Amino acid sequence: MELHQVRYFLAVASTLNFTRAAEQCNVTQPALTKGVQKLEQELGGQLIYRERQLTQLTDLGKEVLPMLERTLASAEAVRRRAQEFQRKDVAPLKIGLAPSISASLVLDPIAEIAKFVPGLHVELREGAAKKLVDLLLEGEINAAMVGDVQDVPARIDDWSLFEERYVAVLAPTHRLANRPSIGIDDLRETILLERADCDVAVKIQQSYFPDEPPQLGHRSGHDIHLQYMAAAGFGVILVPEHMPRLPTLKTIPLEGDPVSREVRLLAVQGRRYSPALDAFVKVARLRDWSVEVPDRGVPHAAVPEVVRAPT
Amino acid sequence: MTATRTSAANRFQPIDHQPDDSSPMLSQTDKTLARIRTELLTMFSAADWESYNHLVGWLRDTDVASHALKVGDDAPDFLLPDAEGRLHSSEQLRRNGPLVLSFFRGGWCPFCTAELRALQAAKDEFESVGATLAVVTPETRDFPRQLKRGLGLDLKVLSDVDYGVAMSYGVLFRVPDETRAHYSGRGFDFGARHGSPVWMLPIPATYVIDAEGRIRSAFVEPDFTIREEPAQILALLRQAACTSSEGGGSWKATPGQSGNEPV
Repeated sequence: MELHQVRYFLAVASTLNFTRAAEQCNVTQPALTKGVQKLEQELGGQLIYRERQLTQLTDLGKEVLPMLERTLASAEAVRRRAQEFQRKDVAPLKIGLAPSISASLVLDPIAEIAKFVPGLHVELREGAAKKLVDLLLEGEINAAMVGDVQDVPARIDDWSLFEERYVAVLAPTHRLANRPSIGIDDLRETILLERADCDVAVKIQQSYFPDEPPQLGHRSGHDIHLQYMAAAGFGVILVPEHMPRLPTLKTIPLEGDPVSREVRLLAVQGRRYSPALDAFVKVARLRDWSVEVPDRGVPHAAVPEVVRAPT
Repeated sequence: MTATRTSAANRFQPIDHQPDDSSPMLSQTDKTLARIRTELLTMFSAADWESYNHLVGWLRDTDVASHALKVGDDAPDFLLPDAEGRLHSSEQLRRNGPLVLSFFRGGWCPFCTAELRALQAAKDEFESVGATLAVVTPETRDFPRQLKRGLGLDLKVLSDVDYGVAMSYGVLFRVPDETRAHYSGRGFDFGARHGSPVWMLPIPATYVIDAEGRIRSAFVEPDFTIREEPAQILALLRQAACTSSEGGGSWKATPGQSGNEPV
């Protein structure tokens, strides 16, 4: 298929009007029609119903539209990057992170795209997965990284990036702190600090507490709050393995690794990707995320995000 | 059909490769890709033949290769991540000499892996004439890493995430339903591999792009079993190295560049 054919089709899809689409593409209507027909031939079916006044996408048209939009945006990203740079008008990249996703995950991708997008400005937002989906749809953020998430609207693209397990994190003075692993019975008899809007609450409930609820202690929606409370000896927290930990905490695997989740990348379909977003999505979908959880079960070394010295 | 296939394979003069005993993994290097192709075709099942004939026939009927960029065209610039998630821009890749850019279908395709091994074996020679080699796959996630590890490749494997580069080079097509059914049956889920609900593939193609971003050679072949021999690319690069001091412009198109019927 050819770029211009795809452009013609996308123009028809957005205007649902051949005359306006032809104007938009700066071509004659017969040329536009011919291009769309050629594309239909290649894609193996009609993309657009043309009935009297009514122009509508066919099922095939609807099926291929988001993909073609993305492909075209991707093909044009390099040219737009140069234009942005010339205009000194680089679109900011706003990334939403669920509370269980550490900013440490996006540092390397940001450094990578900053090499190619001069003037890059990144803004990080934190929010529960549902909230991030709303922010995406409102255009307040461009991409989001979340854990397990239910009911992602069809308008949002959703790529699985990697899978990780949950581990127990506690103070070194905790009575379970010297165990090689922590089993179900141990957890039932200890106080768990409650993570508000936890991605894997249902899984934990099913794995560990099918009959009676856990003994929940203090509560927060912020990982760092939970870490400080765990360090103070208030209880045990379950954290995704990539999450950087306070150096005063100990990490112990859960017996049999019963709780794991996928970390996913979300972006809105059909919205024109900025060059920075295009690069971010591409890097994220190729990156070897296993470097974030290198030594399963081994407590992490010092952690830059949360113990950074004031500057 | 069989006669056509054979003649297509024989279009290229077999060029004897320098024997390379550096790696036992790459024991194929004394064979031309045309010969490996013949061997791979003997392993085709009846279903493979049917699917192969259908896809190649369909690609020729719809003349998909006619969109492909040709010698003299400007090569579209791109910014793609490699298998490790590092970005590479086309400007960078061709800054110091010609860029050999080869589109392949994926790590699941034996003709592609044969080609990649042959390119790997020729990599030092490419570099010795000042050329940079990059191969482009539609696969994402850890598939390119697995491929590199599995074949012991030390090549720049770029991932054409969302197919934008294959589309801008005009070598992209939507996998027809019959082909999709065949590959699904073989256990290949391009949706998962590409991260895309719509299954697309590139026509295998090898481009040589000069430092100014102009296409100097284009090998585009709808018959996915036929690839450009590294020795042939190398001959082109050497020829270019000789003529570039005189201002270039004397490059010839390689056979198959138009993607038309071979014979």
